[in-house]
Amino acid sequence: MFRELLGGLRATARAMASRPITIQYPEEQRPVPPRARGRHILHRYDNGLEKCIGCELCAGACPVGCIYVQAAANDPAHPVSPGERYAVRYEINLMRCIYCGYCTEACPTEAITMGPRLDLVDYKRERLIATKDDLLEAWSGFTTMSQGVAPGLGRPASQPTPMGAGSPHSGPAGRAPGLRPVIPAASGDPADTPPA
Amino acid sequence: MTDVARSPELITVIVDGRPVQVPVGTLVWDACEKAGVFVPVYCAHKKLDPVAVCRMCLVEIGTLPKLQPACATVASDGMEVRTRTEKVREFREGNLEFLLLNHPLDCPVCDRGGECDLQDFALRYGPGRTRRAITTKVHFNKAVRLSDKIVLDQERCILCWRCTRYYDEVTGEKELVLQERGVHTVVAPFEGRPLQSMFQGNLPEVCPVGALTHAQYRFRARPWDLRRTPSVCPGCSYGCNLNIDTRETEVVRFASSDKPEVDDGWLCDRGRYGSGDLNRADRVRSPEVRLGGPGRSMAYSEAIEAAATALASVISEHGRERVAVLGTPLMTNEEAFVLQWLAREVIGTPHVDHQLLPWTDLSPAEFSLGIEEIEACDAILVVGEQAEATAPVLTLRLYKAERKSGRRVSRVPGDIEAGEAARRIAGASRVGVISHERDRGLAAQVAAIAVASGASVGRLTITVGVNGRGCKDLGLLPNYRPGYVATAEVGLHGRGILEGCQSGEIRALLAVGPNPAVEAGADLDRACAAVQLLIAITPVRDAFWRHAGVVLPGRTIAEKAGTVTSSEGRVQTVRIAVHPNIAVPSEVGLLAGLGACLGAARPAPTAPAAVLEEIRTAVPSYAATAGGLRAAWGKLR
Ligand code: SF4
Ligand code: SF4
Ligand code: SF4
Ligand code: SF4
Ligand code: FES
Repeated sequence: MFRELLGGLRATARAMASRPITIQYPEEQRPVPPRARGRHILHRYDNGLEKCIGCELCAGACPVGCIYVQAAANDPAHPVSPGERYAVRYEINLMRCIYCGYCTEACPTEAITMGPRLDLVDYKRERLIATKDDLLEAWSGFTTMSQGVAPGLGRPASQPTPMGAGSPHSGPAGRAPGLRPVIPAASGDPADTPPA
Repeated sequence: MTDVARSPELITVIVDGRPVQVPVGTLVWDACEKAGVFVPVYCAHKKLDPVAVCRMCLVEIGTLPKLQPACATVASDGMEVRTRTEKVREFREGNLEFLLLNHPLDCPVCDRGGECDLQDFALRYGPGRTRRAITTKVHFNKAVRLSDKIVLDQERCILCWRCTRYYDEVTGEKELVLQERGVHTVVAPFEGRPLQSMFQGNLPEVCPVGALTHAQYRFRARPWDLRRTPSVCPGCSYGCNLNIDTRETEVVRFASSDKPEVDDGWLCDRGRYGSGDLNRADRVRSPEVRLGGPGRSMAYSEAIEAAATALASVISEHGRERVAVLGTPLMTNEEAFVLQWLAREVIGTPHVDHQLLPWTDLSPAEFSLGIEEIEACDAILVVGEQAEATAPVLTLRLYKAERKSGRRVSRVPGDIEAGEAARRIAGASRVGVISHERDRGLAAQVAAIAVASGASVGRLTITVGVNGRGCKDLGLLPNYRPGYVATAEVGLHGRGILEGCQSGEIRALLAVGPNPAVEAGADLDRACAAVQLLIAITPVRDAFWRHAGVVLPGRTIAEKAGTVTSSEGRVQTVRIAVHPNIAVPSEVGLLAGLGACLGAARPAPTAPAAVLEEIRTAVPSYAATAGGLRAAWGKLR
């Protein structure tokens, strides 16, 4: 009995002397393995056109049916994507997604890939239904980790070259991200304030 | 070989070792289908004559050295058909490789993707690889607008000629042609003119691939998004069957559904592209009571009570005959029946109608001709232009009777001279007289001439609105109870009711909307504004909604269950295709509830199926209509 007690104390003492393995998440983040299947990214071509053509093959392939695509015809004078058709609405329910990656396999234009972001947290469920604005690589200086994070919040961890089509992920449009901060911002929106 | 008993008109064909008996003259393709053997086809179509241009259906027959087209070869007794041999497999693979030679392979952006015969057969029988680089394909024009309804992609065309043959054989309009030769052949509109036909919407369904597509449905959905509900076209009273394809809560298209006795697989463009009306944004979503004050939304049970109280006070103050009830030909049979019950049994007023014009002197002969029987008439007289303008698919049936059975079809003006009419039907032993209900009187005169000539005469009367016939059959008329039993007291007809609203003769009006026939022909706003109490049940913000004291939300035809009766008397089922975004029972329930609040002696059933049972008891001719049969008032004599 005495031996067991000593053994326990020894384990405690050893742990007290070692360095902590926890990190200060989300301020600090670990690098993600290059082939991790995290939050989706919709890509653009170098000329700024969206790769997605709104074909709904991803939605058809998705085993849980969490993708909703509504296509529309391109205006030839101001095309959104090359060709006749583009996605006017593109939504993924990230809470229902099982991160299987079938959507990326089905996509004929490699428009959708799985990014490295694994944090799926928010104060409101509705905000985990990612819209096209959330998913699209949109603004200059876009990085896979900053996707879904308002500027200045959440330091992207240093990454090995991300996998997937279109990398390095830099979109030409200087558009403000239509994204929701994962970390509460002083936006005044009560939904952004963590419960006390 | 199995020994199969033979009868003189039947022959035996052996398909892949399986003997089947088919009538003399059957095509090998049909014999294969009967044997349960699938043969891929492109140019063959059940409603078109065989041409055998695509070569997809080639099969081995007996000892013939070459493969034969199943779609154009007539089966003979003892014929041995083989569809699964290596020779057939190899040929199909080669044929598909040819068809895909210059095919753009743009399935991801093609509206037909997911329901395309080229995709399906390429997957099932195709080579699965290509021997040419995709960059060497010959290109043609994409997204060519043939009209405001149809888009043609010339690259996707596999030159099956179905579209040109449809125009030649089904409508007779010949608006599409094949141009150029060889690899440069394309389908194009005749002389580059935009398509004018009333039946263009059938083209994308006739086309086996995604070359012809609907402008209205362009990029709106994928087949796997759609939920399909068999229903009846709300466009007119001809009764064409169709499928309502919905995505989430929206009706995205009407697709045809082959009912040989009625539509023969076709729809007209007004019917087909009318699907957008079911998604109107100006919907009435909640009950509203505006009696003597600003409008208040409330629960439907309270709104019904308020309506009943207001109606009861009008009745006690002015009397029952100061109340009128106006239905609409868009109601189902069940709703019409409950509405007339409410008017006659509960409120006790004779003023019941569903349309403007009076409907008098009914004779069962007016409904004696069925649509299918048109083809059996030796001579057909179409009186006036309204019938075909109202029910365009009738034109296709008339063309078929002319082309396939050699019948004489004459379009005659209403005031045709007796001598001329007699000349047109000379020698015919069976005569069909078709007219719109507005031309009933003239049609009766023409029919009398035909009867005098000694022929047996059948009449088809095209009624107004999808269920105009049902409303009449079920007594939504001031002069007839259900089953055309004459009433003791004849009430006001539609126009009389509206005039009564303005003159003060009618103090309270219970109206079901929308009623396009009434809205087009009368100053509905004036009448609705003038009447003391207006109770409206309507799905959209029409004139009834604008002026009503109590509004109850109604449902569109895609949102309710029940039956409608077509002009020829066929009682067909409509089903719930989209669930309405309203917390209110269906019209049948609302009317029954109103009846209960008004103190009905006997409550009305609230389920459409139960109402239909009552209808079958009350109206003998509806007793035998289960399964979409015709309610017979009189047969072809
Ligand atoms: S990863 Fe899988 S579950 Fe998630 S959206 Fe793609 S296909 Fe659907
Ligand atoms: S992401 Fe790819 S598969 Fe999905 S709709 Fe866009 S192009 Fe099609
Ligand atoms: S357009 Fe369609 S129906 Fe017409 S020939 Fe081409 S493939 Fe056949
Ligand atoms: S003829 Fe009438 S029922 Fe048939 S499709 Fe046209 S509108 Fe609809
Ligand atoms: S289907 Fe027989 S040749 Fe086209």
